[in-house]
Amino acid sequence: MYRLGIDSGGTFTDFVLAGDGDVSVYKTPSTPDDPAQAVKDGLALVADDLDTDVPGLLADIDIVIHGTTVATNALIEHTGAKVGLLCTEGHEDSLEIRLGHKEDGHRYDMTYPMAEMLVPRHLRVPVGGRVLSDGSEHAPLDEADVYDAVERLREADVDAVAVSLVWSFENPSHEERVREILAEELPGVHTSFSVDVLPQVREYTRTSTTVVNAYVKPTLDRYVERVEGYLQENGFEGQTRYIQANGGITSSEGLRERPAYAINSGPAGGPAAGRHLGAKFGSEDVITVDMGGTSFDVSLTKDGSTEIRKDFDLMRYRMGLPMLQVETIGAGGGSVASLDRGVLTVGPESAGADPGPACYDRGGTKPTTTDALVVLGYLNQEELLGGRMKIDADASRRAIEGHVAADSQLDVESAAAGILEIVNKNMVDGIRQVSIEKGHDPRDFAMVVGGGAGPAHATGLADELGIGRVLVPKTSSVLCAYGEVVSNYKHNRLASYPSPVEAIDPADLEARFAELEAEGVGQLRAEGIDEADISLQRVFEMRYRNQIKECEVTRPATEITDEWLSELREAFDERHEELYTYAEPETGVDLINVESVAIGRVDPPDISGGLPTGDDAETARVATREAYFEETDGFVETPVYDGSAIPVDVDVEGPAVVEEDTTTIVVNPGWSARLDDSGVYELTR
Amino acid sequence: MPEIDPITLSVVQGSLETAQREMTTTMMHTARSSVLNIARDYSNALFDAEGQMLIQGQDIPIHLGSLMPATKAVIERFEGDVAEGDVMYHNDPAHSGSHILDCCMYKPVFVDGELRYWTVSKGHVTDIGGPVPSGYNPEATEIYAEGLRIPPVKLWEGGEVREDVRDLLLANVRSEEDWKGDLNAQYGAVNIGERHLQRLVDRYGGETVDACFDRLLDRAESAMREELETIPDGTYEGTVPLEDSGHGLGEIEITARVTVDGDEASVELESPEQVPYYINSYEANSVSGVYLGFMMLLQLDPPYNEGLYRPISVDVGEPGTVTNAETPAPHVNCTTTPSETITDAVRTALEEAVPERAVASWGHTSGVNIAGENPERGTPYTTMVLASIISGAGAAHDMDGWHSRGPLCCFGALSSGDVEIMEHMYPIVLHRYSLRPDSGGAGRQRGGCGTIWEVEPRDHEMQVIMWGEARKTETPNALGAYNTLREPKLGRVEHEGEDGEVEEYRENAILTVAPGERARNYNPGGGGVGDPTTRPVEAVAEDVKQGIVTHEGAREEYGVAVREDGSVDEAETERLRAGRGNESPEESGPVPGGER
Repeated sequence: MYRLGIDSGGTFTDFVLAGDGDVSVYKTPSTPDDPAQAVKDGLALVADDLDTDVPGLLADIDIVIHGTTVATNALIEHTGAKVGLLCTEGHEDSLEIRLGHKEDGHRYDMTYPMAEMLVPRHLRVPVGGRVLSDGSEHAPLDEADVYDAVERLREADVDAVAVSLVWSFENPSHEERVREILAEELPGVHTSFSVDVLPQVREYTRTSTTVVNAYVKPTLDRYVERVEGYLQENGFEGQTRYIQANGGITSSEGLRERPAYAINSGPAGGPAAGRHLGAKFGSEDVITVDMGGTSFDVSLTKDGSTEIRKDFDLMRYRMGLPMLQVETIGAGGGSVASLDRGVLTVGPESAGADPGPACYDRGGTKPTTTDALVVLGYLNQEELLGGRMKIDADASRRAIEGHVAADSQLDVESAAAGILEIVNKNMVDGIRQVSIEKGHDPRDFAMVVGGGAGPAHATGLADELGIGRVLVPKTSSVLCAYGEVVSNYKHNRLASYPSPVEAIDPADLEARFAELEAEGVGQLRAEGIDEADISLQRVFEMRYRNQIKECEVTRPATEITDEWLSELREAFDERHEELYTYAEPETGVDLINVESVAIGRVDPPDISGGLPTGDDAETARVATREAYFEETDGFVETPVYDGSAIPVDVDVEGPAVVEEDTTTIVVNPGWSARLDDSGVYELTR
Repeated sequence: MPEIDPITLSVVQGSLETAQREMTTTMMHTARSSVLNIARDYSNALFDAEGQMLIQGQDIPIHLGSLMPATKAVIERFEGDVAEGDVMYHNDPAHSGSHILDCCMYKPVFVDGELRYWTVSKGHVTDIGGPVPSGYNPEATEIYAEGLRIPPVKLWEGGEVREDVRDLLLANVRSEEDWKGDLNAQYGAVNIGERHLQRLVDRYGGETVDACFDRLLDRAESAMREELETIPDGTYEGTVPLEDSGHGLGEIEITARVTVDGDEASVELESPEQVPYYINSYEANSVSGVYLGFMMLLQLDPPYNEGLYRPISVDVGEPGTVTNAETPAPHVNCTTTPSETITDAVRTALEEAVPERAVASWGHTSGVNIAGENPERGTPYTTMVLASIISGAGAAHDMDGWHSRGPLCCFGALSSGDVEIMEHMYPIVLHRYSLRPDSGGAGRQRGGCGTIWEVEPRDHEMQVIMWGEARKTETPNALGAYNTLREPKLGRVEHEGEDGEVEEYRENAILTVAPGERARNYNPGGGGVGDPTTRPVEAVAEDVKQGIVTHEGAREEYGVAVREDGSVDEAETERLRAGRGNESPEESGPVPGGER
């Protein structure tokens, strides 16, 4: 049986079919107007390659793991649902006041625009009634207000309603009553309640997260229904799983209950792949980059773990759910180059898959990064994707000539070199954000490279940053999909548990965890995970009395006793000292939130073996081509290798171009590449 | 001098930014007072051995200008008497502090036994002793009546805290426990900075690191010089009124004369004799106010360091005046009033110099603090309520002002705090924290809205301590913007009794609010840019739809008639706008700082 990873990107939708010691990768153009279409196209492509039809293919697959960008795109492009918000009277503007804080980095920039409101002010409807911090009711819910609000939202024809009342997680009765009224009055309208989405303290964070959840929910629901409907129509009897922003996978029910976890989930497969590949080469410190058609994602893994963020701004919207930290830059193969009053810029505008770069000859006339790579001789001048994508090199030249070269009095080649330089600089800035700016020297890291476009830029980026080792898997073009097939299941269950640590009743806390763990484990069991493959972690968010930010301590799920609690307290002091240089053992500590992380382990598929052997790479050399390098001050004769014929464990010296089925690796002068038996190129200087 | 490659230079710059940011994170995550952990009223910076600021970060703008002279004052005070493990502490404006509430910690950083750098953390404490909780005493006629003055002292010596000195400090303040925790937080912050600097020197060597620092200072200086070069040479003047917020001496004026000569600028301030009221500003704070005026117009890209300010010289006026106060002038309100007036005087002068880059002013500070005894815990509490001063931002040429990102002295660096966190920390119910319609200055580009903050004490009597101004004078507009509805542009405080009767306050006072009663603070919006009758009709209609501008506001200020159903009455709008052609803004009241 096979495992199929499907990862939707802005330009391509990627497929990884893994199992039985083999791994195959496929790409098909994304279909932004109807993303499910690309999934269908890809399944047909894979089936065709295996000489069967889609039902035949699906019969041999037990798990489909999917990374979808529909939720992310809805948030980026502001094409999500029309959402109404029911909130506590007097607090209808917390979404717009945003705690009164302007994002750091723009302190003296008087022209930095405000973030677009996901719920405009006229759809934020206040309702009377108030719960206080101890859960007591200060004023009963004003049901007349709720019915008026319903009327207003009905008239406005909203697609979804978010409900977030002050202190609702301490006393959910008002939110629950609103739930009943909405179920009667607005059946069929999607709803998101703050007590379900994020039952923890901080009204602004909880409201914002609930609104984002509501904003992407209808889009995600429609999409999941379409994809799974199609799979079922074709007789699929296995499981469908989705990658989440926390870096783990879940079922469709799990995702649809918490659609916010689908946001930014696309790039979450990258770090998993980077960690997996880095470990094979003995490196726990890796920077993982993934350059697709539209965007460039970068994450940093140190000592084998990738940073988790909570209560942070994602695409300018506050999110309270735990998510892997992945930065995204608008730089990709489809990024459009343009000349703006004498200044050459590349991206963030992207030609995407449709019309795509000029060289695809699908109606695109604007020059893109890919067109520059064609002109510079890096990419094959006739076809890509093993012949499935024809390339019109002249179209690339015309686009660069017309939009960049002519007005800047540059020749086409120099203009193409300029496009490459600028797009590389943008990506270097992105890598700096996760490394240098966080105090990590990139020279201490290996770089794992993904994306169809990434390997052509990899050694150039590494040169800029002083990185000495680059890892490019043959499956590079589908790195996230690859990460998806090696990811574990993961479910976070959050709760509020405010109590001084010294006052905690061990049995009560144990019982609270038992509830959360029963949910997480129940979900894993429903997803078909064996008891033996389940592991549990308990996260405790604590702080010294009168601090307001919690500091996390993670512990295995062992029984809570008084002794265990005093160890927890000591562990907190230690963690505090590690982070902030001091501890206050004499000060009281409050537990604020708890979180259960349920992980279901998945065996990575076996994918080594079957590669050619030989003494050198000469037999794989298929052509020479003029290619441009800054180091050689212009175009030089450059050998071109057929990646499928390159033997393992031989060196390919740069300058060289290695053409794989779904990507092209450019080995800059001064670098050499060596393929290992699991299909990963190690490039060193 | 060692050869510096561009990657090392970027890593050094990035490490400075990280060190600064992590110091800030340490304060935010570990401090106890809500002024610090909720409101982010702190600033952290790194300095070289001579006291040159190497990185300024994104913290409170008004703090940062004064940190430069303050650090130099501390270095001078302890010259020859600095050992490893020492930590200095200080708040005295007479030693270049800003105001006594801003308490500052300084740690010398040694590498191989040599003093090379200083890490500095300034934080606004919740209380500094004196007769009024939170330190804002409108009755003080001398600094001695405001609270504890701390000239530079050693608080840690050779790595050990000096308990005698710490006890002296703690014995003088309310909320002793929070204070103690805040000292630890600051200590954590300066240690974090030290750790990063030592790591950097370990990695690249002191000589290389210092060469990078010099290069970075020079780069910032040349960036500022390039900007100043674009301003036509000449002397420009801006005069801005400062209202009588309770001293009874009437309105006063502050003037800034800005002379630009090539790539340098000099600024002279002029103001009346210092007054027996807490709105006097000592030198370091006034200099900082001047820098803000430049920063808001020139909008240089980060990173920022002391190099930026090398081409700007500042004369804060005759000693003994409001902008160059001397002991014993009371001063606690100075970081907002009159610093915001000083910034506006410079901004107004520069508006004349480079109208194409002009921006409107931001809402000035107009807020409250609270104090009382927590009925459950039986302990006193006091805090500044930064949420109450989150006013509207000013408009720029092509953009409306942000709502709720003020005040002017902070440019969005503060945080109002989450309602649930505030109610968790204090025995209060926050009934309202929302945007204030019609508060944004009327212009082609509209100012952002200010906010309304409404509180009720739970089971105890609470003091509400007013401070700031902007209750009689509107936020200065720019380039011909003017207000017709003045009232919603001004701050005020309301005290609502249990019977619903409302009393209004426009001068600083201390109110006592009983359970069942409420206090409401209204603060101003930001200034507008350009003639309001040229604002696109559809933009006005959209503001009405969102409740940012009322129907009356649309009609009176913008000449746009919006019907109840939201549609625009075009004929009426045309008539209204035609009738506004030669209307003089004077008829609708003075427009401070606004040109026509």
